[in-house]
Amino acid sequence: MSEKDPAAVAGDGANTLSPMLLAVLANRFDGVVREMTNTMLRTGRSAVINSARDFSCGITTADNQLFATAEGLPAHTYGLNLQTAAMCAYHDDIAEGDAYLHNDPYSGNSHPADHTLIVPVFWAGRHVFNVCAKAHQADIGNSLPTTYHAAARDIYEEGALIFPAVRVQRDGRNVDDIIRMCQRRIRVADYWYGDFLAMLAAARTGEKRIHEVFAKYGPDTLARFVVEWFDYSEQRMRQAIRNLPAATVSRESAHDPLPPMMPDGIPVRVKVTVDPAAARIVLDLTDNIDNMDNGLNLSEACSISNSVAGVFNCLPSDIPRNGGSYRCIEVKLREGAAIGIPRFPHSCSVATTNVSDRLLNTVQAALADLGEGYGLAEGGIGMGAGFCVISGRDARHGDHAYVNQLIIGNNGGPGGPHCDGWVTYGIPVVAGLMYRDSVEISELSYPIHYREIRLATDTTGAGRRRGAPGVHITYGPSHHPMTVVFAADGQANPARGVRGGGDGNVGAMFVVGHDGSRTRAPSVGQIVLERGMWLEGLETAGGGYGDPLQREPERVRDDVLEGYLGLARARADYGVVFDGSPDDDSLAVDGPATAALRAELARARGH
Amino acid sequence: MTAETARGWRISVDTGGTFTDVVVADAAGRFTIGKALTTPARIFGGLSAALADAAARLDLDVAALLARTDVFIYGTTRATNAIVTGNVAKTAFLTTAGFPDVLVLREGGKFNPHDFATPFPRPYIPRRHTFEIDERVDATGSVVRPLDEAQAAGVLGRLAERGFEAIAVTLLWATANPVHEQRLGQLIEQHLPGVPYTLGHALNPILREYRRASSVAIDASIKPLMQAHLRDLQADLRGAGYRGEILVSTTMGGCLDVDSVIERPVHTVRSGPAMGPVAGRRYANLEAREEPVLVVDTGGTTFDVSLVRDGHIAITQETWLGERFTGHMLGIPAVDARSVGAGGGSIAWLDDAGLLHVGPQSAGAEPGPACYGRGGTLPTVTDAALVLGYLDPAFFLGGRMQLDPAAAERAVETIAAPLGIAVEEAAFSIFAVSNETMINAIKDITVSEGIDPSEAVIVAGGGAAGLNIVPIARELGCRGVIVPRTASVLSACGMQFSDIQAEASAAAPTRSDAFDRELVNAALDDIDARLDDFAARLAARGFDRVTREYRVDAHYAAQVWDLAVELPTTRIADAAAATALVEAFHAAHRRVFQVDDRASAVEFIGWTGRLAVALPEISVSAAGSVAATPPGERAVWFGLDGPRSATVVRGAALAVGATVDGPAIIEEATTTLVLPPGACARLSAADSYVVEFDA
Repeated sequence: MSEKDPAAVAGDGANTLSPMLLAVLANRFDGVVREMTNTMLRTGRSAVINSARDFSCGITTADNQLFATAEGLPAHTYGLNLQTAAMCAYHDDIAEGDAYLHNDPYSGNSHPADHTLIVPVFWAGRHVFNVCAKAHQADIGNSLPTTYHAAARDIYEEGALIFPAVRVQRDGRNVDDIIRMCQRRIRVADYWYGDFLAMLAAARTGEKRIHEVFAKYGPDTLARFVVEWFDYSEQRMRQAIRNLPAATVSRESAHDPLPPMMPDGIPVRVKVTVDPAAARIVLDLTDNIDNMDNGLNLSEACSISNSVAGVFNCLPSDIPRNGGSYRCIEVKLREGAAIGIPRFPHSCSVATTNVSDRLLNTVQAALADLGEGYGLAEGGIGMGAGFCVISGRDARHGDHAYVNQLIIGNNGGPGGPHCDGWVTYGIPVVAGLMYRDSVEISELSYPIHYREIRLATDTTGAGRRRGAPGVHITYGPSHHPMTVVFAADGQANPARGVRGGGDGNVGAMFVVGHDGSRTRAPSVGQIVLERGMWLEGLETAGGGYGDPLQREPERVRDDVLEGYLGLARARADYGVVFDGSPDDDSLAVDGPATAALRAELARARGH
Repeated sequence: MTAETARGWRISVDTGGTFTDVVVADAAGRFTIGKALTTPARIFGGLSAALADAAARLDLDVAALLARTDVFIYGTTRATNAIVTGNVAKTAFLTTAGFPDVLVLREGGKFNPHDFATPFPRPYIPRRHTFEIDERVDATGSVVRPLDEAQAAGVLGRLAERGFEAIAVTLLWATANPVHEQRLGQLIEQHLPGVPYTLGHALNPILREYRRASSVAIDASIKPLMQAHLRDLQADLRGAGYRGEILVSTTMGGCLDVDSVIERPVHTVRSGPAMGPVAGRRYANLEAREEPVLVVDTGGTTFDVSLVRDGHIAITQETWLGERFTGHMLGIPAVDARSVGAGGGSIAWLDDAGLLHVGPQSAGAEPGPACYGRGGTLPTVTDAALVLGYLDPAFFLGGRMQLDPAAAERAVETIAAPLGIAVEEAAFSIFAVSNETMINAIKDITVSEGIDPSEAVIVAGGGAAGLNIVPIARELGCRGVIVPRTASVLSACGMQFSDIQAEASAAAPTRSDAFDRELVNAALDDIDARLDDFAARLAARGFDRVTREYRVDAHYAAQVWDLAVELPTTRIADAAAATALVEAFHAAHRRVFQVDDRASAVEFIGWTGRLAVALPEISVSAAGSVAATPPGERAVWFGLDGPRSATVVRGAALAVGATVDGPAIIEEATTTLVLPPGACARLSAADSYVVEFDA
């Protein structure tokens, strides 16, 4: 198809793009985002970027609607629109060659550790799109060496440098004042700058590719495409909502207690109204508690993105996530609420994970109340031992400082109507998208030594479709002492099952001393490990979906053979009786005994 | 063999799941194609039928054909198919104690955050066949926990009792210190004599335990099968009187002597797609094209694309068998041939908001496109091609199969009706959307290497390539298209042009700010010593045209993904040589990623030497015209503005140097080349159509 091709304007009206061109351009823009993503992965310096892929790229329109996100993390991508809106509100001289740094949770960012580089894209002198690269930084200059400061009373104690859409490039050149400020404040500044370059490489690559699309198709066709692509996305979403039953469902869960800050935990309350006639879903989050004097408040972007993600998890997975599909979902938020719109200077340091994970879980589990086949169980939860921020000095490289979040643990995914939990799930807001560090790369990059990473047995939430297991993980420093900072969850309140499914296990962390003694660690805090000491963690499994007695006995047998399930729990939870042994390939389901036991268990459980 | 028998012939064979393709090159470089159905039970059955088919076209019998042949190159999808269907040996996975889930947890990753309907992939070797070995080496190669030989012997005893057929061993950091893996190898030979095994450090000494373990698991699991397969082939060929060299094509786009492959059968996995670029490089070279070459191979269900730059074929460490994230990573370096689900059999469908999609579902060969008349009713790209007039229903595959235009139209109507458009518009849209999938695949491989497609020329192979390659090349702004007349057997042709290749690697980590020349040169010496052994073995058999090159995997301090950089010199003799290498890295980083960071130290990790032993050169020459069929005409759609009258030419009627101007269709016995208005094809002396077009 050349530019002259009449396909561009064929169809049922002179101003409508052909179905062909609509599909072609949608793929083209997703291709731009994927190329940005690949650039950042391969050039980043911190493991959290180059190994774990804790970053997302996206495109917003010049009027600040979320446009293309490809495989970005949902928790990152919604809010890019709010951030580019802030850029437009704060600057009246935006020009080609500019780049802006944004990490302000009070004007659209997720949390301060997610630095976002925004490049406004111009064509023929007109501002047409914005390309955004958002990456979780290894460090942002907080008062503690962590990017999750749970105890921070406010933004001042948190200590991050905040950039409310600050210009960092003009005419394609760095504004060196800003770079120097960062280098004075952010730990391990040379690697921070390497990561900054990676974000810049991604954004400039996106800008270049969008220019090529404009050169090919021209601004009129693309303006039309934007309108139609949003309409198409909205149409897909409306269709999906029309297929749901009408209902209003409420659900409450709670983040673990956080003594002394929140000794009773943090309640998470959602009310979901599904209105298929109007093709609309309303998520009411206004019944949540006021902002807390700690770092676990949600930003506006996190409140919206993670509640909406819970809905998307329960709909066909190929609906585009953009301003068009978001039109069908209304999120009611209250200003000054811990889950809502944060009131400055309350800290949102930990906004993207803990309470966000609970919020997402609560929405998808609430939707399971719509009936069989809807919703999901709760996914495994908590940034335990395998997700801590480690820091110290590396004796192998002249005591060069290091700081980085580990992404090597694992919580298991939730059971759903169709499938058992996804094993490499991570946490709900990530939903398996992030990569895991390799043990060898992690030991090469940081002075750390692992002793064990093993999927746990007998931890998963039982169900017709079960949750996936979490891991046992043990590690310690290989040379100098290592500071480990953590803000976990799921060590008191597990991931819940739905529709008769069981709960996942409760996680835990232990410090193993020089003498081998094991001491339970708090779920939120900071410890220093010396060489010869270890941090040991048990992470959490996802909840189950549906009645375990309905699970096919052969699947139970497979779980026993694969070591996810012991014989005792196979019997107690699932009512499956075996002949033979798992150790010599002779294990077989005893059909009649299983049927009898299941009938008995069903009566006992009052089915 | 008689005194006057000609020698110097070469036979290449591509054994696919359905067909066995044979290409015979005579001493003058003329190619003859033979085809037969594959016989999986004993591969030589189909192979000898295909040889007989080619021999008959040369007025020879198989014995005479083999008598003239010095080099026999064998390519097979056997390993790939065995892996995809899970039809492999009962294999045990031995791993460092504490880390049993390397193959389960992999490297994480998933495409869609909201997809909870895709099951988590099962590990290549199940957990129940995974055994932990008490030992641990750390990142520096120090033994932290010595190998517990009694415990290991206990495990091996159980493996013997339970009838394991192969053993895959991958211990953490065996790449830094292989002592424990080596000892386990000895214990396996002692406790399970004759059971094939693979050791990680020996097969694939790379960092990242998952991808190393995956390559080892795959290799071990196909050893019993592939060793028997290759030994049978060897015996059958010798039994048929063949006395020349037997080579096997590899996933690196080269070939290896059959004995080396029997040791490391993982190298045969995906060797078919790896041969496309070898053919493409040669065909571009024969046309004296020096720009980057994009090689595409379009079959019924997949579209493979690969890249040749400055005569080098792009190599990747990340080849997936099956889908990314849910398949298995091959883990060894392989020709970077990206496959997407798009081809002649791809099915067009509408989603619930009326957007048109094509693929990745395919009608395959059975039932096939609707127009095949074998019960398929869903609209495919081939059906769209028939509706648009690209295919002659009476001359498909040179008339071997009759197509049903009415069935094609009915199928495409299922797209046209809901959209309220004409059937030809729907057919054209199916083509355009399918083209877009291919365009994205091409962009994916070019941009990740920092190449602009508009600088490149395309070599198109595969039976369906000619239908849409010109509009794709035009959309990408490429500098022309080359379609060899043997396009439909691109892989077998590639083998004709391949080298015997071997690689040796060594880890010698050093940094630009403290470059350890002694360490690096010692590693290069070690690499050379290993390559010398291999070269000496081949030289003894008369293969002595040897070249060597060296590369290093490097990154900026704290990056973890490597860029491969060719060494400008064979040793790092002095500071200037080290500086030249660092500069080469900065330049490569800027080319691929738009930025460099000259303030940062560069870390050099893995060093590789690559030995290539050239086979005697083949000079391709045209088969020449055979039949003077007069050109015809038919109505063909090249856009949405109505049909055009296109010239229809039988390729066999064209002489070298002849040109055909679009709108036109060139019909070959195994492929069809569609020339839209503004495109022009010339038949070259090297037997390819060279297509040029206006922008």
